[in-house]
Amino acid sequence: MAEWRKYYPNEDDEVEEDEEDSGGDYKISGRDSLVFLVDASKEMFIKGEDGEPSNFDMTMQCVRSVYTSKIISSDKDLVALVFYGTEQSKNPRNSFKHVYVYHDLDSPGSQRLLDIEKLLGEKGAQFAEKTMGSGETSLGDALWCCSNLYSDIKLRLSHKRLMIFTCRDDPHRGDGAKDRQARTKAADLKETGVVIDLMHLTKPGGFDVSLFFCDIVSPPEDESELGLQIEPSRKLEDLQKRVRAKELKKRSQSRLTFSLGEGVNLAVGVYVLARTATKPSAVKLHRDTNEPVRTKTRYFHAHNGGILLPNDMKRAQVYGKKQIVMEKDEVDKIKKFDDPGLVLMGFKPMDRLKLHHHIRPALFIYPEEEQISGSSCMFTALLLQCSENNLFALCRYIPRRNTPPRFVALVPQREELDQSQSQATPPGFHVIFLPFADDIRTVDAHVGPTASDEQVDKMKEIVHKLRFKYKSDAFENPVLQQHYRNLEALALNMLEPEPIEDLTMPKVQMMNARLGPLAQEFKDLAYPPDYNPEGRPAAKRKTAESGGGAAEKKPKVEMSEEELKNHVAKCTLGKLTVPVLKDAYACKQFGIRSTGTKKQELIDALTMHLSK
Amino acid sequence: MSALVLCMDVGFSMSNSEPGQEPSFEQAKKVIQKFVQRQVFAENKDEVGLVLFGTDGTKNGLAKDGQYENITVHRHLMMPDFELLEEIESELQPGGQQADWLDALVVCMDLLQKETMGKKFERLNIVLLTDLNVQTSADQLDVIIDSLKKAGITLQFFLPFPVDGEDRADGGGDGPGPSAAPARPGKGLSRQQTQGLEMVKNIMTSLEEEDSLEEVYTFSDALQKLSIFKRIDRRPMAWPCQLTIGSSLTIRIVGYKAVTEEKVKKSWAIVEAQSHQRDDVKRETVYCLDDDNETEVQKDDTIQGFRYGSDIVPFSKVDEDQMKYKSDGKCFSVLGFTKQELIRRHQFMGSQVVKVFAPRDDEHAAVALSALIRALDSLKMAAIVRYAYDRRSNPQVGAAFPCIKEKYECLLYVQLPFMEDLRQFTFPVLENNKKFTPSASQLSAVDALIDSMMLVEKDEDGESVDVFKVNHFPNPQFQRLFQCLHHRGVNPDDPLPPVEPWLKRDLERPQAVSARCQTALQDVKTKFPLKVVVKKKEQKTSADVFGSSADEPDAKKVKVDEETEFNLAEIAKGNITSVRLSCLKSVQIDAFAYALLTAPAHNVLHQSGNAELFNSYMQSLKRSVPDRNLQEFWDLLIQDALTLISKDEVDGSTFSKQDANQFLAFEQKEEVQAAPVQEDTGDVDDLVSVSCLFGCFNDKHIIYYICECNSDL
Repeated sequence: MAEWRKYYPNEDDEVEEDEEDSGGDYKISGRDSLVFLVDASKEMFIKGEDGEPSNFDMTMQCVRSVYTSKIISSDKDLVALVFYGTEQSKNPRNSFKHVYVYHDLDSPGSQRLLDIEKLLGEKGAQFAEKTMGSGETSLGDALWCCSNLYSDIKLRLSHKRLMIFTCRDDPHRGDGAKDRQARTKAADLKETGVVIDLMHLTKPGGFDVSLFFCDIVSPPEDESELGLQIEPSRKLEDLQKRVRAKELKKRSQSRLTFSLGEGVNLAVGVYVLARTATKPSAVKLHRDTNEPVRTKTRYFHAHNGGILLPNDMKRAQVYGKKQIVMEKDEVDKIKKFDDPGLVLMGFKPMDRLKLHHHIRPALFIYPEEEQISGSSCMFTALLLQCSENNLFALCRYIPRRNTPPRFVALVPQREELDQSQSQATPPGFHVIFLPFADDIRTVDAHVGPTASDEQVDKMKEIVHKLRFKYKSDAFENPVLQQHYRNLEALALNMLEPEPIEDLTMPKVQMMNARLGPLAQEFKDLAYPPDYNPEGRPAAKRKTAESGGGAAEKKPKVEMSEEELKNHVAKCTLGKLTVPVLKDAYACKQFGIRSTGTKKQELIDALTMHLSK
Repeated sequence: MSALVLCMDVGFSMSNSEPGQEPSFEQAKKVIQKFVQRQVFAENKDEVGLVLFGTDGTKNGLAKDGQYENITVHRHLMMPDFELLEEIESELQPGGQQADWLDALVVCMDLLQKETMGKKFERLNIVLLTDLNVQTSADQLDVIIDSLKKAGITLQFFLPFPVDGEDRADGGGDGPGPSAAPARPGKGLSRQQTQGLEMVKNIMTSLEEEDSLEEVYTFSDALQKLSIFKRIDRRPMAWPCQLTIGSSLTIRIVGYKAVTEEKVKKSWAIVEAQSHQRDDVKRETVYCLDDDNETEVQKDDTIQGFRYGSDIVPFSKVDEDQMKYKSDGKCFSVLGFTKQELIRRHQFMGSQVVKVFAPRDDEHAAVALSALIRALDSLKMAAIVRYAYDRRSNPQVGAAFPCIKEKYECLLYVQLPFMEDLRQFTFPVLENNKKFTPSASQLSAVDALIDSMMLVEKDEDGESVDVFKVNHFPNPQFQRLFQCLHHRGVNPDDPLPPVEPWLKRDLERPQAVSARCQTALQDVKTKFPLKVVVKKKEQKTSADVFGSSADEPDAKKVKVDEETEFNLAEIAKGNITSVRLSCLKSVQIDAFAYALLTAPAHNVLHQSGNAELFNSYMQSLKRSVPDRNLQEFWDLLIQDALTLISKDEVDGSTFSKQDANQFLAFEQKEEVQAAPVQEDTGDVDDLVSVSCLFGCFNDKHIIYYICECNSDL
């Protein structure tokens, strides 16, 4: 969550402001922290039936995936890994027995990832036995030790979470004193703002939360929340999902007023549930020391060399020969239409929301009772009635000051639970951005012959053979994965990065096998025998490549200064292509150095030079 | 690229107007201004000419022997520039003559044909703005229509009245725009106008096969929806590719960006405030180490690195390029097919929708693609595809939905999320939550509100009509920017003008809906108590002071120095050696209080044993109240009776309950006098970070709050 800025670099100005928002949020609240408190008793190492991984192994895989995801998405967050019920002891002051702090609270890096890998699988179990062993259990001591980990941190912590992974519902086997101590320590932790979750794992005969752990874990966020997962996690995916849902603290991007009309205002938080993740931007380092280097940008007066303060500068645009100058704050204010907020325009049936009216990823809103009391009730009523009648609410949306409005569709979503009773979809409205007329391009439709029923039926067979259940989290981004594998390899001095599996590539072999003769049958129905759909464009490309054709065909158009001046006079420079402009631009006779590549920059520079 | 001739009637009848109405001339001039404004500031490459008819003088290539008189070619075909805007503003005046609009049309055609010779234009268009109030000779009509067709010139008419009565106003324009109702046709139209209207219809129907009258607009229509001018917009680039299903089935396709967010293209340059010269401003970026001296480093001495968790890995550009993910070029490969319902609308990613067709000249591809589209449509399925625009661009996973329209079929491609893009947040339950469950009467109030605010209405034929089609509104951002640029260009010293009223109106709820929902809205207002929770800073209780911050989007952000040391660990362990209680002197109390109110407090619960420490801190704090100007802060403590820990509460305390109670009382005056003047000693460090520790009682527990804040708020 931290450092979104890096992970989600500026797509445009507005998004940039977004980042500033969440960045600011992060700065206020400090870092998130997460302690994995893992049971290392013998029971944890028992393998499941049919060679299923042991609970310990499953937990370690899960921890590893959290470490990796933290490295990628929130590298400032702190993570710790502590084992309890070990034979050996290792903790800062060695004041607790049978508690093994494998990693204290720190941001995860490459070394830690390697450490975790040592604990994976069969070898991992052996390694754990050798280094830590299994011994007595005192959850109280373990919790006390964790509380010290938190207090040793000198940084500001915003969100503190502790997850207990165990398959033993009665860890002290009826030792009342130990139970009591654990409860007290848990209460102490909770008082300091640590949220304690139980990630309970399968146990023969069932895990009984009410025996002991119900007094240890934090109460649910609100009284109605489902609270304890009654079912233990059997599968790694279940566990990962559970951990992932808790691991990130949800933060609203902003809190806004949602106005239904004069005097009827509720408060909502705006959340980002999906945003294109891109490679983080590079950091500049000093060549000799690998220290990070900061950049400072200063503005100077070209003639007297004096430093220019913001007040000494204005903003300008040039249209043809006309320069239009504004103050910086005027430029900002032009974008202001109203105060930030959501304003209800009215309602429409869902079928009026067109599939192709899409311009950016959606947001999500949820009521903020702490801002305006009564918001949740009003919000729920709207949600129920919209969903009941299959309607969406149309609103005007201004996310921030000095941001122009957009119209959005608020699409209701009621809560859904999955089989394991955890939330599959949260209750609230999705905010779908709607295009303005300017955003819709005129496309001249290609009208061609249509397929016959026979052809359509054959294609249906093909579609049927290749059907699968789409899941939105099924595809990893190969570009990002490769990037992080590369970094991993460099950080860990590996010879070469681990290969990635590119899930975006079609599984051609499998598809062909499933289709069997269908593909040929369809081609026989739709294509004449001599038709080659791959032929023509490929041939074209070949000629272009072989002879360096394209370049030769079009001889370089060198513009004379006269011609260019003519263009400047007529304001038709814009019609020239960038390469031509660049040629002219870089042309030594003009003595202008090419600094920018944007067309407008080239044009501006040329205009300036030639109209002198 | 297209070429367009604006052909405006400036004849004397255009200056006539009904009382209280703007003359047609002024309306038409505004339409032209708005249009040219958009062209100039959007830096559209289209060429525009301006022909006026009804002018006192005559200036055109066809004028000879008294023919084509009172028609002036004001501007030949060229890219519109700011000068044209200025000319329209100052030189476009009503004429005193009348001229035949068909003659003017011929002049425009002549202009288009002569001046586009040798250049390639995708589209030639003539826009006629006239009230048709002039005698025309129709004998050449057929010839004119013929040559328009031959030259591929399209026509648009802008008239003061609708061509087909009410239907036009409602059916053509979407939404009951707040415009004044245009004059009814038939009523109040002169003989010439009625005749002219027939000719307009005649021309338009013979030029286009259907919907031809959709290209006849009223002035008020045009002013409201500049999107009408879309016809001359640039066409998106074609993206030829092949759709593959496995390795043996390939269909040739062409994609076009159909929907994408149009952004302001031109950026602002920085100029020197006095000279307005760009060259006077030099920008310099320097690299420096993050040390106290900010030691500068040469750019050449820097290398590139990336964060990998807590590590920073040096990774040169060359290595990065070498090792990065390589895509094997442009593709549109089917990974499989899935039920449309599994693809959630709110999970659409990216910023565009691509329409996919078969190439124009390839009917076999058209048939194959049609089979796929129809198969998907009837099965309610979509294709999941790997999409890569070209070799350099990152691959995407997306969905191709079937789209079958009356006139054409295509696939609609939208990007879908990668696993890394998604954040799974869990939200508290809303339904079945006793506190928030709306009552039956509340639900019916909301139902009534919804009913009164429907933006879809039934028309006479029982067809439902969308009265608020957002996708027909121009983006107000552009309009506003162009208006300001235009204004500043013409009046460099004036302040910026206010937002045009019609633009603001477009952003409001339609008036009819607004009026209709009043009763229901009142009902909702009474049935749902909505109360703004009083901001924490206004209510000074310690609970509020240390509650979590309520950060509005615009609230000032408290910057926190992360690395500031305060040693919670030691406190918790019970052996405090040092607590940084940085001086609070010369800190403005406002800032300090603000920080306390907004900075999320950290509390550490601690069982008895440290009363002494706490007490001694409180004493030292009290001593520093006057010279740190902390009276207001102290008042908070009084308010919540946060005082010394007495023996009654904790054994280790050396204070009696009475001591504790009296402690907060302040002998203020004496202390103030006694306090040495220490303000403004200029100790900057003290101004930077302020830590403070104090506590309140909670049974036998003491909760320590640690706050830190930055005082430069």
